[in-house]
Amino acid sequence: MNSLTFARARHGLALLAATACIGSVQPVLATDAPPPAAASEAAALVQPGNNAATFRDVRRGENQSITFQAPADRTLIQASGERWRQLRNGPITVWGGWMLVGVFVALAAFYKLRGKIMLEGKPTGRLIERFNSVERMAHFVLAGCFVLLALSGLTMLFGKHVLLPIMGHTLFGWLAWVAKNLHNLTGPLFFISTLFFVALFARDNVWQRVDALWIRKAGGLLSGEHVPSWRFNFGEKTWFWIGVTILGLIVGVSGLVLDFPGLGQIRQDMQLAHMVHSVGAILFMSLSLGHIYIGTIGMERAIDGMKSGYVDETWALEHHAYWYETAKGRKVSKDDDGTHTPAAAPNHH
Amino acid sequence: MARMKFLCDTERCIECNGCVTACKNEHEVPWGVQRRRVVTINDGVVGQEKSLSVACMHCSDAPCMAVCPTDCFYRTEEGVVLHDKDVCIGCGYCFYACPFGAPQFPQSGTFGLRGKMDKCTFCAGGPEEDGSEAEFEKYGKNRLAEGKLPLCAEMCSTKALLAGDAVEVSNIFRERVIRRGGKGVEAIGWSTAYGKGSADADSRAATATAPAPEKTGGAQ
Repeated sequence: MNSLTFARARHGLALLAATACIGSVQPVLATDAPPPAAASEAAALVQPGNNAATFRDVRRGENQSITFQAPADRTLIQASGERWRQLRNGPITVWGGWMLVGVFVALAAFYKLRGKIMLEGKPTGRLIERFNSVERMAHFVLAGCFVLLALSGLTMLFGKHVLLPIMGHTLFGWLAWVAKNLHNLTGPLFFISTLFFVALFARDNVWQRVDALWIRKAGGLLSGEHVPSWRFNFGEKTWFWIGVTILGLIVGVSGLVLDFPGLGQIRQDMQLAHMVHSVGAILFMSLSLGHIYIGTIGMERAIDGMKSGYVDETWALEHHAYWYETAKGRKVSKDDDGTHTPAAAPNHH
Repeated sequence: MARMKFLCDTERCIECNGCVTACKNEHEVPWGVQRRRVVTINDGVVGQEKSLSVACMHCSDAPCMAVCPTDCFYRTEEGVVLHDKDVCIGCGYCFYACPFGAPQFPQSGTFGLRGKMDKCTFCAGGPEEDGSEAEFEKYGKNRLAEGKLPLCAEMCSTKALLAGDAVEVSNIFRERVIRRGGKGVEAIGWSTAYGKGSADADSRAATATAPAPEKTGGAQ
């Protein structure tokens, strides 16, 4: 009997702990409670009619069945929803939002201090093909999807705080409905585009020895020095692997989980997928701002390659010296670590 | 002003699903949606089987309301959590956040996308004019506006499911627990939905139904 009393006292403590948890930020799951089945059986012996132990199981999502057939609704009280709410409304919205603002401000400050990166030499008028039409199409389909997804995604996470107070419920409700459907329909296309894009560009984005020099000199971004590179420098490779490939696939796969809810996912799967998706997307958007900046207002003529497919020889020499050399039919060793000096500027040819 | 709450007494629920049927019929709920459902705990275990009816609990700090990207939820003066289907976009976030699985989505449109969310309204309709045709089509009957309580509870054959003013509901439940000499305080979901420590009858009821300190958490 003593041991039983002790066991009951322990239940009481666990209950108090559980109760205390309910009021706090992250409720639920009193992990130190005794194993569920044993607890409810013991309680049934000592105190018939006391269902406290049974309902502790409920909080853990155990020992339940239901006649309604939806798999998600087999849980009477799901506790992880509150945790998801706290993370989504807390760090993801607040830190994520300020992170995007911070990156934007940092780029604006960089532009103000460093200005546009101009060509040093005079343009020759002679052009080199940088991206063929398939590559450009792959880029702009992916980029188009990305922009649509980013804008609609931002509307769904931050619109409530930014747009709703301006637009009112009716107009914003309509906008958010458009955003949601646009997001859900564009998502799968983005995923397929990502696979195609990665396959297309992976070969020229592998590590090359001269990339070490780029890292040592931080790409010359601050000094203004031109660091030689092959077709893609290390900055572009970082964006390709960490941004487009890793974050793209993380966001793409988690997005598909959210987009097709009828494949047996339960709420906990959706909560996890949503958190992975939104964190990944915020990091992806932050990196993309850097990519968009340097490809447009950040560097003179950088956009030419993607716009027309061709770049001026001067641009090629200054920004991708080894690639320029090979394009001109000269040999550069693959192992070159940056000691190779490119031939004279194209103007002097 | 009354604060409306639901309470289900597991000692009385016989898993007849009468509440589910009453609700579906009264509101002509969309196909595939069940605003109320009956859950059985320890199904088939002799002496330990408990059933209870659960729907939207109209929480005091409603998670659905907190996560909605379009802020389509609102709370009436009686504490009933309602939503505006014209503003809802069917994103499903309220369903991820809700502890009770209350929000549901009829499939509609391209690729079976989620339609507008549907959930228990405590028989209080929606933002449209009380008792209007538009209100009925979107949200079902507005019984509260007619001075009636939710039909699920009204039709419960064993009066396991109680709906109404929190003070009344607490008093009825407390009375029952005292009379049947039970030791349980199994008002499942009550504190998840309504929080703890309010100075009104909730706490009085909780105290009355929990004689020993070790049971205070039993109300969950």
